[in-house]
Amino acid sequence: MSSAEDDLYQQIVMEHKRAPRNFGHLAHPTHQAQGTNPSCGDKIAVELELEGEHIRNIAFNGQACAICMASSSMMTEAIKGKDVQLARQLQGHFRAVLTGEVEPEEVEIGKLVALSAVRRYPSRIKCALLGWHALMHAIAGQGGTATTETSHSGA
Amino acid sequence: MDLPTVRAQFPVLHQQVHGHPLAYLDNGATTQMPLAVIDAMRAFESHDRANIHRGVHTLSQRATDAFDGARAVLKRFFGAGAEHELIFTSGTTEALNTIASGLWAGGPEHAWLREGDEIIVSGLEHHANIIPWQHAARRTGAQLRILRADDEGRVHESGLRQLLSPRTRVFAITACANASGERPPYEAMLRLAAEAGALTVLDAAQVASHAVPDVSAIACDYLVFSGHKMYGPMGSGAIVGRRAALERLYPLRLGGDMVDWVSYEDAGWAPLPARLEGGTPNVGGAVGLAAAARFIEAQGRSAIDAHVHALRTHALAGLQTIEGVRVLAPHAVQSALVSFVARDAHPHDIGTLLDERGIAVRTGHHCAQPLLDQLVQGPTTRASFAIYNTHEEVDRLITAVSYAVKALR
Repeated sequence: MSSAEDDLYQQIVMEHKRAPRNFGHLAHPTHQAQGTNPSCGDKIAVELELEGEHIRNIAFNGQACAICMASSSMMTEAIKGKDVQLARQLQGHFRAVLTGEVEPEEVEIGKLVALSAVRRYPSRIKCALLGWHALMHAIAGQGGTATTETSHSGA
Repeated sequence: MDLPTVRAQFPVLHQQVHGHPLAYLDNGATTQMPLAVIDAMRAFESHDRANIHRGVHTLSQRATDAFDGARAVLKRFFGAGAEHELIFTSGTTEALNTIASGLWAGGPEHAWLREGDEIIVSGLEHHANIIPWQHAARRTGAQLRILRADDEGRVHESGLRQLLSPRTRVFAITACANASGERPPYEAMLRLAAEAGALTVLDAAQVASHAVPDVSAIACDYLVFSGHKMYGPMGSGAIVGRRAALERLYPLRLGGDMVDWVSYEDAGWAPLPARLEGGTPNVGGAVGLAAAARFIEAQGRSAIDAHVHALRTHALAGLQTIEGVRVLAPHAVQSALVSFVARDAHPHDIGTLLDERGIAVRTGHHCAQPLLDQLVQGPTTRASFAIYNTHEEVDRLITAVSYAVKALR
């Protein structure tokens, strides 16, 4: 239908949206946090089972758009069984690609490269980073809710 | 109405987006401005710009005349009578904040809202007609009560009757829900609330471009609207209110031009409207807003109303043929928008795919999260229509939604 269908909604993205990996809950999470996007109300909760710095297990749940679901699904695949430091590094690289600070080929982001077209759709960058916001909050042990906004709009 | 002639007056429409002619269907968020408005603002800024009510020089007098003239035009536009006044604001949000906070900011001696009072807000409201009332309730000890919508998104007079009590001090409702298109029976509801002794607030933001309420014909103490949703400039709007009700509001913007006298220890407020318009106002915006009202009058309110309703009917019929699509408030024949959800296709994804075809729609919560949480448990896609939209654009919308929904499943 359009270039967005070819580059933003690639086959691999739609496949992760339709059958997200590690979707659901962990029996005994040690760390968890939720991310929300106030503009659409999308919510992604991330649960972790950390053993020291090692991510033994990860699951996510919630409702969100295709970009967000695919990004969160690929995120869980990429960091499950890895160290926290690698998760942080991957988040940094992925974020830098989306915000246009580096070119996709300059850093190693694995399958997530399928989402690099999001950089051409600035209004959708928040969607791609929502699950990652929740992950970073969970790792930091802050729990609670992370939003895609820079400050919390309380009252 | 000659559509090509109308469209020729809106320069912004004549562009391509992603290689397609722009179909601007996000008018519920912001309408575009015709040349008449742009020219009026340019003429003011390039010929008459000066501060108002302060100078003895010619330009200051011209600017003052332009500002007061704009007020007069807009008062007529909304049917204001001798008992009414118009207060310029930056838009609907500032207007509602001015009212909600003005009803308690005078302190316990003067406050209209006190502990134990009740404020009723309809369940159809956008955030600007909810959050200021939540805040007012918290600050005063009043209770906020919600006139809930039913499963079809309607609010009923009978529901309001049950909520009204001798303690009801305020009733606030929209003339059209921006998230669903629902048009509540606001005339009857405002009357009921007024009879119960409440101050009444009507949010006319979504109808000021076509179905403009006549403030003298309804039981309304404060009507609020935004210029940018009625072919006028952004950052402009007003409260049209009964003078007695406006005098109840404690001024929130304290400073120049809203005072009668000032000493180092104390000050006395100027009479309306200056009392509620502290500081240098958006004079160019007021001039543009008046030009927008004149533009609407010149086209004819009923002609605009008929046109946007026909577009809405067309869109509704087309969208309802798409499998898995559910349109909110399909019965709302008097609205100028369609809001819908599609099974397994998120509004943000639909919005992006529509944008790729040059079609601008709104996706998300439309700043009305509580209502959408109740009706669809999430965001929607909304197409909203204006005087310059065409049936061909509606056909493009239907085709594009149909493609997007299939692609996203």
